[in-house]
Amino acid sequence: MAHAAALKVLIVDDQFSVRQMIRLALEEIGVRNILESENGRDAFDKAVSQPLNLIISDFNMPEMDGLSLLRAVRSHQTVRKLPFILLTGRGDRDLVVKAAQNGVNNYVVKPFTNAVLREKIEQVMGKLS
Amino acid sequence: MSKVDELRNTFFEECSELLQEIEVGLTDIRDGRGTDDTVHAVFRAAHSVKGGAGIFGFETLVEFAHVFETVLDALRHGTLAASDEVLVVLLGASDILSDLVTMARSGKPVPPGYDNECRSALNRLIDANGDGAAASNGAGSEAAGDFDGIDFMPVRADDFGEAEASGERVFKIAFRPRAEMLKKANEPLYILRELAKLGSLELTADTGALPRLSELQPDNAYINWTGTLRTAKGRQKIEEVFEFVVDDCDLEIVEELPEGTAAPIAETALAESCDAIADSTPPVPPANPAANGSTKAAAEMPARPAEAADAPKDGAAAAAKPAAMTTRVDLEKIDRVVNMVGELVIAQAMLGQVVRELPEKMTSRLQHCLDEVIHHTRELKDSVMSMRAQQVRTVFQRMPRLVRELSAKTSKNVRLEMSGEATEIDKTIIERLSDPLTHIIRNSVDHGIESPQDRRAAGKSEQGVIHLSAGHRGGRIVIEVSDDGAGINGERVLKKAKERGLIDANAALTEDEISNLVFLPGFSTAETVSDISGRGVGMDVVRRNIMDIGGRITLKSEPGRGTTIQLSLPLTLAVMDGMVVEIGQDNYVVPISAIVECMRPTRADVRNLLGTAGTLQLRGAIVPLVHLGDLFGIRGAVRDVVDGVVIIVEAGEGARLGIVVDELRGHQQVVIKSIEENYGVVPGIAGATILGNGRVAFILDVDRLSNVAGAEMENAALPRAEPAIMARPS
Repeated sequence: MAHAAALKVLIVDDQFSVRQMIRLALEEIGVRNILESENGRDAFDKAVSQPLNLIISDFNMPEMDGLSLLRAVRSHQTVRKLPFILLTGRGDRDLVVKAAQNGVNNYVVKPFTNAVLREKIEQVMGKLS
Repeated sequence: MSKVDELRNTFFEECSELLQEIEVGLTDIRDGRGTDDTVHAVFRAAHSVKGGAGIFGFETLVEFAHVFETVLDALRHGTLAASDEVLVVLLGASDILSDLVTMARSGKPVPPGYDNECRSALNRLIDANGDGAAASNGAGSEAAGDFDGIDFMPVRADDFGEAEASGERVFKIAFRPRAEMLKKANEPLYILRELAKLGSLELTADTGALPRLSELQPDNAYINWTGTLRTAKGRQKIEEVFEFVVDDCDLEIVEELPEGTAAPIAETALAESCDAIADSTPPVPPANPAANGSTKAAAEMPARPAEAADAPKDGAAAAAKPAAMTTRVDLEKIDRVVNMVGELVIAQAMLGQVVRELPEKMTSRLQHCLDEVIHHTRELKDSVMSMRAQQVRTVFQRMPRLVRELSAKTSKNVRLEMSGEATEIDKTIIERLSDPLTHIIRNSVDHGIESPQDRRAAGKSEQGVIHLSAGHRGGRIVIEVSDDGAGINGERVLKKAKERGLIDANAALTEDEISNLVFLPGFSTAETVSDISGRGVGMDVVRRNIMDIGGRITLKSEPGRGTTIQLSLPLTLAVMDGMVVEIGQDNYVVPISAIVECMRPTRADVRNLLGTAGTLQLRGAIVPLVHLGDLFGIRGAVRDVVDGVVIIVEAGEGARLGIVVDELRGHQQVVIKSIEENYGVVPGIAGATILGNGRVAFILDVDRLSNVAGAEMENAALPRAEPAIMARPS
């Protein structure tokens, strides 16, 4: 069982409003330690420079997209096992397939409820308390 | 407002930026200025609208954005050519998307079928492209928001990495480490253990190259492995196990396909990047892997070919738009700060007044501190004002669509060019700029640009061009709308003005004066009232609107060549730098930005040529004088010009004017308080302010002063405003 309050989660999305919505949802779940990145490049720098428990990333972003971030994370010696959840829109089936092939742990379809986000995180991290 | 509502608003603000990006990008592509980056940026913007709309649950928006995005994706991948027809559909789609965002924002339901036409047009593009299934099914069919049928297995983090679970596959693996691998502290044993985790692994070690113990180099590689891996995972997973050593080993991964399936696909990038098997270095493993004493740091993350191929594409698209750190603040909060700064400026001026009245021995240190305060207040004011400033882009961005719609309606071919969109102006001015600008552009399309036939006949290209530009000029913002249309028909204008009795039947006017008659109230040249302009709201209203925000409007027209309308606007409406002057017992403020110079004229400089005010000979030029004392009927003002001070100001269009005042009182920042809101329009007066001594002073409207003075010469009809009535700051 993972303690939500002990998790350190990185949100990656180029839109401020979307990041804040995810932050809000995470806070509802009980996550206290939340980082944000606007693009994959910055997210990767953050991910390799500090201990993280989870990345929740959008796909389409400037600088480095979500798939490249996923690949970069999965190719890095120390963070390659970092849980990674992809944010996706409806109809982005091909993207989810591609992400699955690249080792994404789960995905969340927008829009989502807090319960769905929690469920998806729990599928990856184990039951949250 | 709940947190979510706030975020929703933020999303809509982001949307307007994104929509702008889409529109500008598509226009660039249409006009041949687009690059691959432009296409990517447009795609990403549409995708972001969709993503945000998804988060906030705007279904219609998501669905439309999805179809739009699918077409853009085809454009991005080059499977759809950016032809004119395609861009017409895409620009139309950007308009619909913008409408849907507006509806979502206002909470209005989208009329059923609102986007149908456009959506079918988009779908036709995709269908024609042989890629129809993606978009037409796309968003709608996955209403549950789940992707059933993908071999996607969400897994626990501690058991990471398995996304493909589609039955067992068999891979033949040959792994031959080279000495470099060991030197980089990569341990074959660990790699094989990782490999074993993927499924059932059978390996044979080839120890044939192993030397005798006495000849064994501990850091050399002597052993090769070959075998099979039966696994539910894909090739990707296997490659990942090797990915840090791929350059330092020989590796073959070949999938054994079940009978009846196609031959193995081409070797992957991973295998290719391994050196040829026929490498001359004999691959030899260490006798004791654990004894491998290499202390070299772990190799850096190798750049994977796939990622390397993707990265420049994304990076380049992003380079076009450098990320800026921004915070969104409620405008009301900024306005509060602006007001407080205004009060601070007044309080500081009062303090300065008190300091000046103190005995001198007390004031020197105090004055020093006060100077500091003044300095900081000024910086504070500038910073706050820049916070309020917005790019004119917010107004400009509505115009391309306007022009598109109007040209479709009038069957004219019009292109809108824009420049200087990043010019910043105070938000209050921006807000009040939209209507006048819309009207001017309507006029340009409707009356200015000719029909394609007429243009051809006149030897012009069929496509008319309207150029909308903004920029700083002399402490003001200048916005120009110029078209290459027919220009204003001077004869017709003059005839109409005379018919309507707007000017004297015998008046002799210059060409510019005739053109500017269109600004007169009650003037409308449109012989037929069209659907677009000429709806009874004439250019006089436009001029009124512009003047209300402290701006002026001028028009230049060349028959057959086009018309240019210029708006000159103040940077801000709240605070300005002013020169306080004394006339009789009263103080007035002259905007510093208008002042060219101040001088005490000698008798020889003054000529009493025109009316009562006279003119000033200034280095060979003749400058008309305005006696403020006479104009405003101020008691006790100097009668003779040589007893006073002349302030040379630059009025509209570079015309100079000499304002005669009694004395200069000094430079001061003044907070502009509106007279109109509290009293009414006073010609020649732009506003009022409170001075340090608590008294009210009027701010001169230099541009209009010359007109007022001119009219005053003819009749003394200028309303003599009583300061006592108007001395109520807003």
